[in-house]
Amino acid sequence: MASRVSSKGKGKAARGSRGSDGRSTARCVKTWSTWAMKKAKVITHYGFIPLIIIIGMNSEPKPQLSQLLSPV
Amino acid sequence: MGSSVGDAAAPPLPPPPVGLAVALPPKAEDKSERKVDYLNLPCPVPFEEIQREALMSLKPELFEGLRFDFTKGLNQKFSLSHSVFMGSVEVPSPSSGAIKVPTAHYEFGANFLDPKLMLIGRVLTDGRLNARVKCDLTDNLTLKINAQLTNEPHFSQGMFNFDYKSKDFRAQYQMGNNAFYGANYIQSVTPNLSLGSEVFWLGHQRKSGIGFAARYNTDKMVATAQVASTGIVALSYVQKVSEKVSLASDFMYNSMTRDVISSFGYDYILRQCRLRGKLDSNGCVAAFLEERLNMGVNFILSAEIDHQKKDYKFGFGMTVGE
Repeated sequence: MASRVSSKGKGKAARGSRGSDGRSTARCVKTWSTWAMKKAKVITHYGFIPLIIIIGMNSEPKPQLSQLLSPV
Repeated sequence: MGSSVGDAAAPPLPPPPVGLAVALPPKAEDKSERKVDYLNLPCPVPFEEIQREALMSLKPELFEGLRFDFTKGLNQKFSLSHSVFMGSVEVPSPSSGAIKVPTAHYEFGANFLDPKLMLIGRVLTDGRLNARVKCDLTDNLTLKINAQLTNEPHFSQGMFNFDYKSKDFRAQYQMGNNAFYGANYIQSVTPNLSLGSEVFWLGHQRKSGIGFAARYNTDKMVATAQVASTGIVALSYVQKVSEKVSLASDFMYNSMTRDVISSFGYDYILRQCRLRGKLDSNGCVAAFLEERLNMGVNFILSAEIDHQKKDYKFGFGMTVGE
């Protein structure tokens, strides 16, 4: 019985440390994903329109650069 | 007369019409006799477009002030757009409904339209970006992304939609910021009737909702009904009176705020112009005219008069380019 109690205690301690590891891993993942979303938002904010322009200028038939800037 | 011509052609062909039959229009095919093939129903409209005819007729983009849009096509697929707006914009304020704020902005946009990939981006002078992406991943699966990004933190919004289109049903899954998750499904039940439902879940506010919708359409009319657990009941009916004229009516009831609004409108699509007008149960009258002056040049007039709130909005503008 004592061995069972001690094994239960050890099990709980082991589970406790594994649990805190699990919690910190989840926190790490959350921090990194928030950082990634913030960077993605900035990249999209500045780069979406240039991306469309690059894709458009490379599509067939290729328009001229002057057509991009002039209002005619 | 007829029989000799009939003999010259293959025997099974019916003889050509003679006499009065030539003058009268041919009898339309008797549709009721055709048996309904329940395994070959047409694909329904997407769930969010279930009321599109009513929205197109009753909710034109009314504005107040000056609007000038210039679209320049560089390519079949690629075009740039410049848009100037000077006027008042209604901003919802918590204290007294909506307040009018005078705004002026210039908006630059780029569009890339391909059958498989559509990219639309618009950026304003205050740094706000409106981005829309629609990508056909496979024949049946489409990814749509809709985002409004601002410089101020925590005001940006984004939504990812995955659409699956099959022979007679459509399913959509949505993910948005603020932990918004939604799904909807619409199925054709008969050639004219389609039924759908949607569920959504807002993570941050722990709210969820479910809604049902039905759409009945024939060649001449479209009737839709939508009920949601947020307490909204919306009905609409559009009748296509002729090729150029359609009449629409709409009813919305919000059981949470006990708000009822009903509107009736018309939509004239003529050769040189498109005129939409509407009358509300709040006593608000609105009209929107798009007149085609020349190839690609459109003149726009918008008017909205609300005697009850003493709110008079008149706007004019011009659209150049397709």
